[in-house]
Amino acid sequence: MIVETSGLTKLYGSHAALDGVDLAVAQGSVFGLVGPNGAGKTTLLGILSGLRRPTAGDVHIAVSRRRMALLPDTPQFDPWLTGTEVVALARTLVAPQVPRQRIDEVLNDAGLSEAAGRRVGGYSRGMLQRLGLAATVIGQPDLLLLDEPASALDPAGRREVLDLIAHLRGQATVILSSHILGDVQEVCDAVGVLRAGRLIFSGPLEDLLVGRAVPAYRVHLRAPVEPVADALRAQDWVTSVDATGVDSLRVGVRALAEAELRLPAVLAAAGARVISLAPLAPDLEDVYLELTSG
Amino acid sequence: MSLWRLEWLRLVRTRRLVAILGIYLFFGLTGPLSARYLSAILGRVGPPGVKIELPPPVPADGVTQFVSNASQIGLLVVILVAASALAFDARREMAVFVRTRVDSVREILVPAFTVNAAAAIAGFVVGSLAAWYETAVLLGGLPPGRTLLGIAYGSLYLVFAVAMVAAVAAVVRGVLAAAGIAVTILLVLAVVGNIGAAGRWLPTSLVGALEALVRNADPVDYLPAAAIAAAASAALVWFAAAVGTRREL
Repeated sequence: MIVETSGLTKLYGSHAALDGVDLAVAQGSVFGLVGPNGAGKTTLLGILSGLRRPTAGDVHIAVSRRRMALLPDTPQFDPWLTGTEVVALARTLVAPQVPRQRIDEVLNDAGLSEAAGRRVGGYSRGMLQRLGLAATVIGQPDLLLLDEPASALDPAGRREVLDLIAHLRGQATVILSSHILGDVQEVCDAVGVLRAGRLIFSGPLEDLLVGRAVPAYRVHLRAPVEPVADALRAQDWVTSVDATGVDSLRVGVRALAEAELRLPAVLAAAGARVISLAPLAPDLEDVYLELTSG
Repeated sequence: MSLWRLEWLRLVRTRRLVAILGIYLFFGLTGPLSARYLSAILGRVGPPGVKIELPPPVPADGVTQFVSNASQIGLLVVILVAASALAFDARREMAVFVRTRVDSVREILVPAFTVNAAAAIAGFVVGSLAAWYETAVLLGGLPPGRTLLGIAYGSLYLVFAVAMVAAVAAVVRGVLAAAGIAVTILLVLAVVGNIGAAGRWLPTSLVGALEALVRNADPVDYLPAAAIAAAASAALVWFAAAVGTRREL
């Protein structure tokens, strides 16, 4: 484990921002911290980064402070610095051994080549976010802590940041907090769910989703769908068939593996004109709402 | 790009260095001028029929005018500029960038303190040299040794003032709060210095050293205050580093 906490507690007055958090993050994983506003995500990242001290509990991080980096949700830099200077300063502070040409490379990866020589006071919020990521990855950190890295961005900017994070997989361990569950589901392989300072789930994303969603397929086909639905209902491995539109069926099955083998044959035998066929992915949002609404 | 260069660029690109140099240079040039022509100026702006007689100005009067302005407005500018650099936790997102990339706040503090103290000294030296030159032209020469020693004492006081800002900025986060509290403390010290013999030991007595020395005060009189200022500056910077390191963001 690259990060382990036990009984981590942070009190602000009498309010417990974190309440006995036992967190374990495996090396090389992309770990998503999710939870409603005020759940303690930023406080937890602040403690892991060393910017805040826990009231109680232990934190063990298997890398030195210089090998980790924190990107706040709205990164800001002295407005009279250029983008290149921001990344160059980060390089000097954490990785002076990295060749200077790497500065241009990370700025290019962040899509900031053309703006690199401009003062960051004129950067948009999305550009600042990408500059923050560039200044973070220049040090080739082993552990990245990203606080809501895409929350303030437009769809294009969000896509770019998610791609940058996905690109980091295998190069570093990433812990990111987000309330955009689709982002977490897309880029994270493990997740921790915080509610009111308590970690109510921590583990692989699959463990969270499996068992909380009924295995099912979505079948799009040319109308009429009823004859096909009747053929499917006759199968003992099909648990339910619901029309979800004039050309769509939701087919509940005993097991996805079983359906992979048998479903195409049943559809073919029923003369179905299939447009698309895909397993229904369990939705993190449903699970999250179930966990955090209690 | 190092933290030293960052602080230098902060001074240059935000025109703060120009502000410090400009204000001291302005008072350095206008101090001796106003001392030389004060009598004539008052005669022109005074009520008709009223004649104001002033004793003929001596070279020390040129320095007096400069020190008077520099110790007030010049010091205020120095403190504001220093606070803008030393209150580096004022904006959390900006502070996170540097704080998470150093092992100790000392790494941020030392360049910020040193560069700003150097800028303050540069301003005071430039202003003093301008005042010295213009005094020599308009009123007569100043004793070089005493003048240089006075400039050194005045510079030491500015170092103490910047260190005071660093210490206050470690306790309060805001730029204006740090500057305001530092100014208040320096004012209180100046007031205390005027009561009894304590002033001889307080760094604030160094403010008037340049003027007093060119008027033949004993240079040794300022040694206690200089020693205290040097020791206090080091202690204040140490305090700022210690407190700043413990401060949460």
